[in-house]
Amino acid sequence: MSTNGHIEKKRLETPPAKFKLKIQRREKEGAPVTWDTFELPYRRNLNVISALMEVRKNPVTADGRATTPPVWDMSCLEQVCGICTMVIDGRVRQSCSALIDDLLIASGSDTVTLQPMSKFPNVRDLKVDRTKMFDHLKQVHAWVELDGSHSLGPGPAISNEVAQERYALSRCMTCGCCLEACPQYGDDNYIGPQAIAQARLFNMHPVGKTDMDERLNGLMGEDGITNCGNAQNCVQVCPMSVPLTKAIYETNRDITVNALFGWLKK
Amino acid sequence: MAVTYSRNFLLRKLHQLTGIVPLGLFFFAHMFTNAKAMNGEKVFEKAVQEIHDLPFLLFIEIFGIFLPLAFHSIYGIIISSEARPNVMSYNYGRNWFYLFQRITGVFLFFFIIFHLLHYRFGLVPGLTDIAVAGNAVGSFQIVANDLAIPWVLAIYILGVAATAWHLAYGFWLFAVDWGILIGTNAQRYALYGCAALAFGLFAVGTNAAFSFLRPCGLLPAALCEQPVKASSSAPKSV
Repeated sequence: MSTNGHIEKKRLETPPAKFKLKIQRREKEGAPVTWDTFELPYRRNLNVISALMEVRKNPVTADGRATTPPVWDMSCLEQVCGICTMVIDGRVRQSCSALIDDLLIASGSDTVTLQPMSKFPNVRDLKVDRTKMFDHLKQVHAWVELDGSHSLGPGPAISNEVAQERYALSRCMTCGCCLEACPQYGDDNYIGPQAIAQARLFNMHPVGKTDMDERLNGLMGEDGITNCGNAQNCVQVCPMSVPLTKAIYETNRDITVNALFGWLKK
Repeated sequence: MAVTYSRNFLLRKLHQLTGIVPLGLFFFAHMFTNAKAMNGEKVFEKAVQEIHDLPFLLFIEIFGIFLPLAFHSIYGIIISSEARPNVMSYNYGRNWFYLFQRITGVFLFFFIIFHLLHYRFGLVPGLTDIAVAGNAVGSFQIVANDLAIPWVLAIYILGVAATAWHLAYGFWLFAVDWGILIGTNAQRYALYGCAALAFGLFAVGTNAAFSFLRPCGLLPAALCEQPVKASSSAPKSV
């Protein structure tokens, strides 16, 4: 069973001798965008990262011009850290789990196009700065308060249903796919599904629940949850199948009941 | 900790609410009145007269229709200007609906201005210079004369289609944004319901438009009130 939206792994029946990697380049933040195309010999089981490593060994473009090796982020190489996220053939995903065979079959061409995510500051080439996502986690108070390091005894019991849902939310790896695909996110005008889902994760915690007002406040600002446009791309592109839309709508209900009509309880 | 509302939060909620309560209700009433044209000139003109006879009509028009409409459309344009459509890269149904809600919204902004200038005020050059409002007697003919022009009819059918979809999907969006519809299945079934509603409103509105051109619109005349023969109404004098 496929647990995420990625296509099943297929192999090219008759692989080409060579294929091209078209990479969007930027020397530093604010510098103009340029494009370089590199030609690589095809080999079985290449993914985007191993192809980029090949380019790094000998950074000469297809038209014979020597250039700087392209810069990108990577760490775990098994789609759990999220740092190698980039826009591959126009679609955001992790480059470590993007197989060249799949990409060539899907596009029907001999070129794979790589771009950095467009919704984050572009540090250089394919590397972006994700600081904003961590700022958003602070904004929504995405943690459970503890009042000391002494033993608090066993934690409160959680129903299996809640535990399952919290586990799904906790899989978020802060990769940024949801924000990149969101047609509302950009220019700091919307906090985005990632932080809303983490607020939901801690609002569902029996102890974390006590700070719910603080989290809802973080979501009711100028860039808050009401800016969601319900295009629901986030849940389609999430590589960890985090139930992002459900988290948004559960939080909408919390806001309607506790915040919007909360004054009726007073 | 007390909850604080940001300006943006309240404006968005108000935008969602105005679309449903005054404007959505008004559109149902509007289509209901239009549909009376199926039963002929007299029934329609009586319906227009009944609207004219409503108490506090000016207040209803200003606070129930015009102000919510102005707010909803202007703030809607502001919301639409924030959109970064990406349907080519992320070709999903809900993503298209997201874009379509904004396209229909912007189209309706211009359509409604045209519609108001046309039938409410009679100010569109080349078309009727008598407004329907205030002229219950003869209102059927005013509407019929202009709907007989093919491009006017086409604009009104497009306008009804855009409004029907914008409103029906707006109900869905409202239910989702206020935390009423949460789960994937609930959202899917509600969307089918909204699509059916959109089609129903479109059918009623389109049929009403054609009712000004031929009795009972596009439906078989047997479904509508038959014109009463003049001879049978008056008692025979001997």
